[in-house]
Amino acid sequence: MASLTGRRAIRQIMTITQNPKNLPWANSLLGEIKALRQQLANPHDEFGAASAGDISHLLDAGVRLETMLATGSQPANQHDLMNVLTAARGYAEMLREDIGATHLGIDTRLSALLTCIQTAHEDNTEQESPGNRFIQSEPGFILAVDDLQENRELVARNLSRSGHIVITAASGEEALRALEQSDVDVVLLDLLMPGMDGREVLRRIKEHPQWRATPVIVISGSQDMDGIIECIEAGADDYLFKPFNPILLQARIKAGIERKRWHDKEQQYRQQLERNEKFIRATFGRYLSDEIVTDILERPEGLELGGDLRRVSIMLSDIRGFTTLSEHLAPAQVVTMLNRYLGAMTEIIMAHHGTIDEFIGDAILAVFGAPQHRDDDADRAVLCALAMQDAMIAINIQNEAEGFPAVSTGIAINTGDVIAGNIGSERRSKYGFVGHPMNVTSRIEDVTRGGEILISDSTLQSLKHSFKLGRSEDINVKGIDETITVHQITGEEE
Amino acid sequence: MTAEKFILLVEDNELNRDMMVRRLNRAGLKVITAGNGQQALDMMQAEQPSIVLMDMNLPILDGWAASRRAKEDERIRHIPIIALTAHATETHKQYALAAGCDGYATKPVDFPALLITIKRLALA
Repeated sequence: MASLTGRRAIRQIMTITQNPKNLPWANSLLGEIKALRQQLANPHDEFGAASAGDISHLLDAGVRLETMLATGSQPANQHDLMNVLTAARGYAEMLREDIGATHLGIDTRLSALLTCIQTAHEDNTEQESPGNRFIQSEPGFILAVDDLQENRELVARNLSRSGHIVITAASGEEALRALEQSDVDVVLLDLLMPGMDGREVLRRIKEHPQWRATPVIVISGSQDMDGIIECIEAGADDYLFKPFNPILLQARIKAGIERKRWHDKEQQYRQQLERNEKFIRATFGRYLSDEIVTDILERPEGLELGGDLRRVSIMLSDIRGFTTLSEHLAPAQVVTMLNRYLGAMTEIIMAHHGTIDEFIGDAILAVFGAPQHRDDDADRAVLCALAMQDAMIAINIQNEAEGFPAVSTGIAINTGDVIAGNIGSERRSKYGFVGHPMNVTSRIEDVTRGGEILISDSTLQSLKHSFKLGRSEDINVKGIDETITVHQITGEEE
Repeated sequence: MTAEKFILLVEDNELNRDMMVRRLNRAGLKVITAGNGQQALDMMQAEQPSIVLMDMNLPILDGWAASRRAKEDERIRHIPIIALTAHATETHKQYALAAGCDGYATKPVDFPALLITIKRLALA
C-alpha cells in the first residue's frame, strides 16, 4: 500500500486544500470509524472470504482517513481524501448488501458511516462560490511554479476561486514533469528557486516544440527590471512583481488564456488544412498523377470541378475474352491476375499523365486532357497505349510461370469534346466525363482485336508526332447514323 | 457482431481501483484497468473497451489530456469516457466536458448513479 505522505506534490490539485477544522463532517466521520472498528473487533468467521476482504479494506480506508483528518496534520489533499472516501463508501455499501440483513448491529454502524460520507459528498458539491469571481474569464488550466508552499497555496486559492483549474509544482523539475502530464494553458513561474531556476524552466519551455506556445508569466521577488527584460527576450509573455495584486494576477492570467486559445484555434485550423490536403491526395491520387494533384492543391483558386466542355483523348482498354477466362479460374486467382494487370496499367497511365476515370471489371477507361489540358494529349494517349501493349509481354511471362493463361488486351482511342466535372448526386459524386465521344470510344473498342491499338480519325488528326499505321476500317456507330474511320497503330515512327 | 462489452477503469489509487473493480464485477460487468493516462490511451487502442471510467488526476498524462488525445484519435474517439473527479465544481465539470468526456461523476462516487450513466452511454 502506498503511503499517504509520499504523494508527489505536482499531483496535488490545489483548488481546495482541506484543513480538518474546516470540515464540519470530519469529527462525526472519525467517530463513526472508531465505532465501526469496535463493532468489527470480534472475529466473524461466518462472513466468508469476500466479505472478510471487504471488511479489511474498509478498515484500511478508515485508518487512512484518520491519518488525513488528524488534528495538527498537514492539510489533506482533496483528491486523496475523496479517493479514500469513495473506497470506504463502496466497501460499506457492498457489506450492507451482503451481510447487512443478518448482522443488524454492523448494518446500523455501516448505515451511520454512509450518512457521514454522504454529508461529505454534499459538502464537496457546495464548494463553488461564483460570487467571489473578480474577473470574468474563460476557465484555464494553470501551472503555478513556486518553491514556497504558502505562495503556491495563495495563488491556487485565488485562481481557483475565479474558476480556473490550478496545479502546482515546487521546483523546476516538477514543473517540467507537470507539463508532460497535463495540457497547461498558462504557466505562472517564480524565477528564484533552488536547483533548476525559473530562467532554465523558461528556456526549456520555449525550446520544446509542444510547449513553446504556452504563455509563461514570470514572477520576480525583487524589482529587477533587467532580469524581467532578459526573460521577455527569452520568450516570457508577461511578468509580475511580488507581492502582486490578486486582480492584476487574474487579468494577466485571463490575457494568457486568451492568447493560448487563439494559438490552439490556429493550430486546429492548420491541422484541418493538412487533413484536407491529405484527403484530396488520397481521394484523387488513385485516379490522377501526383503532378496533377499537386497542381490542383497549389492553385490558389482551386480546381473548377463544376463541369466544362473539354477536348480530350479517351482511351478504353479491355482484356479479350476475360469473362470466359474467369469462368475457368478460382475467384482468388481471377482477382490476383486482374490486380497484377490493373496495377501495371495504372502505373503506365499515370506516367503518361492520364486520368483514370474508372475500372469496369477488366476494362480501363482513362482520359488525357482533363482536368489538365496539354498540347500533346493525343500523342501521350497513343504512346501510353503502346507502352501498355509492351507491358503485356512481361505480364504474360509472369502469368505463365504461375500457371495462368496468357491474356491479350485491345486498346481504343478517340478524341472529341466531352463534359468534364463532378458528376453524381450530392451523396456520391466523382470527377467524370460524359458525351458522345465516350460512346464512340466504346464502339471502337468493340472492333479492336487482342494486342491491337485502334485510334479514330479525330485522334489521328490531333497527333503531332508520326506513328506507324496499319490497317484502316470504317465502322458504324449505334444510335446515330455515322460512319467513322479507325486506324491501327503499330508503333512509333523512327 | 456482439463483441463482449467491458469497461476500462483508469485509476491510480489502488484502494479505490480494487473497490471499483470488485463492485463493477458484482454488477456483472467485465473490467480491465490502467494506472495512468498514457496507459489508458494504449489500452483503448489495443483493447477497444465499450466505455472508459477515467480519473482526472493521473500521473504521466492526466485525465483531461488523455481524454483530449482520445477524442482526437479516430481509432478510439467513439469510446465514451466518464470523468471521475474529486472536485464537484462547475469549472471542473465544464473542463472535463470540454476535454471531450461524455459523462461526469464526482467522488465519493454514487455507484447506482454511475451504473445508470454507464448503461446509458455504452450498454444500451
